[in-house]
Amino acid sequence: MKSVIEILKEIRPEFDFAASSDFIADGLLDSFDMVTLVSALDKNYGISIPGTDIVPEHFLNRETIEALLRKCGAQP
Amino acid sequence: MSPLQTPGQVFDAVQQAKAGATGFCTNFFPVELKLQAWIDHGELLVEQHDGAALFFRTDRDFRHFYFCAANPVALEQGMAAVPALKTERVTTDLVGNESTLKQLLPVLEQAGFRWYTQLQRLMRIGRPETGREGRVAGFAERPDCPAVLELIENSFDRYGEQLPLPYEMEAAVENRQVLAVKLDGELAGLLFFETQGLASTVRFWTVAEKFRAQRVGSALMQYYFQTQASVRRFTLWVDAKNENAIQKYRHYGYAPDGLIDHVLANEMIPA
Repeated sequence: MKSVIEILKEIRPEFDFAASSDFIADGLLDSFDMVTLVSALDKNYGISIPGTDIVPEHFLNRETIEALLRKCGAQP
Repeated sequence: MSPLQTPGQVFDAVQQAKAGATGFCTNFFPVELKLQAWIDHGELLVEQHDGAALFFRTDRDFRHFYFCAANPVALEQGMAAVPALKTERVTTDLVGNESTLKQLLPVLEQAGFRWYTQLQRLMRIGRPETGREGRVAGFAERPDCPAVLELIENSFDRYGEQLPLPYEMEAAVENRQVLAVKLDGELAGLLFFETQGLASTVRFWTVAEKFRAQRVGSALMQYYFQTQASVRRFTLWVDAKNENAIQKYRHYGYAPDGLIDHVLANEMIPA
C-alpha cells in the first residue's frame, strides 16, 4: 500500500509535499486536485470518502489527510 | 431568493445540504476572499430546499448558478422549485473528466440547462526559457482599468468565461495581477493572472485586434514567466474550440491535463 505522500507525489510530482504544512495556501493542491486525490485514496485504501468530507480543511497537509483516512476506516 | 449577508450564512446553508447526505454533489468551491467580495457587493443569493442549497451570483445581465445537494434527487427537486431558472438568464458549470460528469449532466439538463461551451485546462510544469522580447510589458495601473476591462469584454464570452467585474478588475490591478503592453498611448494587450503559492493561473491573455502580429502577446507571456520565478505549476482554462489559442499556449509548453469545464446555459441565453 502506498503512503499518502507517495500518492500525492504521483498526482503532483513537481511539488515537495513533505516540505509544506499547508498544501492549499502553498498552491500544491487546488479543488480539482482534491477530487483526483480522493479517487486515488479510495482506490489505495479500499474506502469511500464521502462527498461531505471533500473540503479543503481535510487536505491541508499529510496529518489532516491521514486523520480523514482514519475517520473513513483506513489505516494510513 | 434571499441575499446573503455573511460567509457564515453560506457555510450554514452548505452544512444543511450536507447533513444526512447520501450522494453529496456540488459545483461550488468558493475561495473565501472572493466569497466575501461577492457578499459585499450584494451579488450572492440563496434558495434553500430539503437537502439542497442553491446559490446565484449576479454578473452583468445574468446569474451564475452553483449548488450543494445531498444527492442528485435533492438537487433535481430543489431546482424544480426555483422559477428563476426558467425566467432569468442563468449559466452553470461542471468540472471533471467525462466519466465523473455523467451523473449530474442529465439532472441539469432536466432543469432546462443545455450545453453552451467547453473549457479545457492546460498545464505546464516549471518556467520555460524566456528570450528577450523587443516590446516592453509592465504591470497595469489603476487608470488602465477601464481599457483593460473593455479589452477583456471584447475578447471573451461573458457567459462562458467568468469575466471580472469593475471592482474585481481594480483589485487585480492593485494586487499586480495584470500585465499590459501599451503602444502609442493605447492598451495593446494584457495578461491577467492569479498566483497562489507555487501555482499560477492565466485567466486572460489577449491582444487588441489592431496590435496583432506585433509580438505583443509574446512580450506579455515572457514577462509573466519572468515575474513568476518561484512558481512550479502553471495552468489556464481555454475554450476547447479555440485552436489558435491552444496552439499559442502549446508553444509555451502548456498541454491538456484532462480536466474539462462543461459550461451550461438555460434557454434564456442565446446559443
